[in-house]
Amino acid sequence: MATMNRTPGDLDLGPNPQGRIGKAIEIPVLENFGLDSQIGPTFLGLWNVAAYVTGGIFTFIWLAVMAIQVNWNPVAFAKYFFVLQIDPPASFYGLSFPPLNQGGWWLISTFFLTISIFCWYMHLYTRARTLGIKPYLAYGFTGAIVLYLVIYLIRPMWMADWSEAPSHGLKALLDWTNNVSVRYGNFYYNPFHMLSIFFLLGSTVLLAMHAGTIWALEKYAAHEEWDELQAPGTGTERAQLFWRWCMGFNANAYSIHLWAFWFAWLCGVTGAIGVFLSMPDFVNNWFQWGIEAGIAYPQFPQPSQ
Amino acid sequence: MSGTKAKDPRFPDFGFTVEEGARSTRVPGGRTIEEMEPEYKIKGKTTFSALFKNDPFDFWVGPFYVGFWGFVSVLGIIFGSYFYLNATVVNGPFSLPQNFFAGRLDPPPAEVGLALVSPGQPGFVWQMTVLFATLAFFGWMMRQVDISMKLNMGYHIAIAYGVVFSSWVTLQIIRPIALGMWHEGFVLGVMPHLDWVSNFGYRYNNFFYNPFHAIGITGLFGSTWLLACHGSLILSAAQYRGPEGGDIENIFFRDTIVYSVGESGIHRLGFLFACGGVLSANLCILFSGWPVQDWVSFWNFWNVLPWWSGV
Repeated sequence: MATMNRTPGDLDLGPNPQGRIGKAIEIPVLENFGLDSQIGPTFLGLWNVAAYVTGGIFTFIWLAVMAIQVNWNPVAFAKYFFVLQIDPPASFYGLSFPPLNQGGWWLISTFFLTISIFCWYMHLYTRARTLGIKPYLAYGFTGAIVLYLVIYLIRPMWMADWSEAPSHGLKALLDWTNNVSVRYGNFYYNPFHMLSIFFLLGSTVLLAMHAGTIWALEKYAAHEEWDELQAPGTGTERAQLFWRWCMGFNANAYSIHLWAFWFAWLCGVTGAIGVFLSMPDFVNNWFQWGIEAGIAYPQFPQPSQ
Repeated sequence: MSGTKAKDPRFPDFGFTVEEGARSTRVPGGRTIEEMEPEYKIKGKTTFSALFKNDPFDFWVGPFYVGFWGFVSVLGIIFGSYFYLNATVVNGPFSLPQNFFAGRLDPPPAEVGLALVSPGQPGFVWQMTVLFATLAFFGWMMRQVDISMKLNMGYHIAIAYGVVFSSWVTLQIIRPIALGMWHEGFVLGVMPHLDWVSNFGYRYNNFFYNPFHAIGITGLFGSTWLLACHGSLILSAAQYRGPEGGDIENIFFRDTIVYSVGESGIHRLGFLFACGGVLSANLCILFSGWPVQDWVSFWNFWNVLPWWSGV
């Protein structure tokens, strides 16, 4: 602690407190569930305002076009909310700009959604820099951004066909996921899909292990992780010994978060690779690919057992 | 910590209190495993010693704690692995590395129902593998209880493990019993179990329309997202040298998304997301083929709800 420098600025607002709006709202009952009771103050700057505006335009176009599809009938809107969708341009149009109701709204709304995502990245990045911490949350966000870009922009543009992108709509997103798997010969045989699922389930396991460990050791203050990083106490020691005794090796208060970061980031990135490779130019049929690679066995001999 | 606010007396603290002196145990840089481990390696405080006077299994092998449940678990691992590997890898139809991926153990045929299969008949090895794997998983969970007792921890890890163990039990035991045949259990094998999952998804028309599947997937994606947020936040603040590192984490999230759930809150939220997602996934499998045969027509009720059936 002797090596610490006192940061300039207000202790409650952190360094560089400019740009904050609002006052802290206390909801004490949240403390009873272990959640922080303070809401706000928050920060308004160029990047998050830009993200809210462009994201708001995307949402407005999405909702308005869906409302037009049901003639602005609110009951019908509620009834069909999950199945209404804005479709991308048909393959007929290639990458040219179609009439608004034949994919034009999709192009415009996707444009604003993409701008919003990049502004949010800048928001996370600049806020971390201003507060004097590393911008790793922004770096982690790149895993999701890459997956988004591949699905919505890069792969459709590579194939010169916007209709390869998902429609904007709740059921439509599920349908696209289902159809892209079936169209390209079953994603279960796509090794990058396997990796992505591995990291998805692995992230859930890691989260359950880490969160369970820390929750179980709150009485030893193991949840004060920044303090435990500087000087591990009995809570962190017990956490380490639990996993050493259980599975023979353990992370520590720092390295468990490295595991966490990479597992979650790789879930998006490996998924992006798997989606990008699924096109006639590269892999048209993952089941066929699996047979050729020697991992799919449609002609399995009748088992003796 | 200095950031902690005074408790509102109207809201009694049902949460946690940090034990007296826990913070004073912090050592700059930390202690090595060799330095700290002897302090914690105490005798007793196990489930077995709570029931009986002596615990003959209360010892470590290398880094591993054994205990009665470790003994049970190892038995399950050895016998289960023997049945599985002997049938699929050692005596499989291809080369050994190919057998590792292609090897499959099918559950008993449908006409067996819920009977036990005799040795040499189809499904016997599957039943033995499932039996011993269940024993191994249960023993592993109880071993986590033992270790938690020894280290004076809560039982959260064992509960989380119990949640994923419940998935195994739901798929291989509860649902087959509900449907009256072991045949409904899933095929064991690296690639064949993927085939089984793929087929299962389309056997009930389309799993993407299964609402419990949707909630389960939301739990998994939500867990991955929370893990990314939490992991990157701790790494980002690790080199911060202000007076209170925990505060800068809260300030960062209040600045970016208005609310920071807090140091204890993120772990509670993460635990509930991960466990809740898996529990919902259990239901999505259990209900398929039992009350629900078709997840697409399942949604027909939506269109005829009285308040908008005429629209």
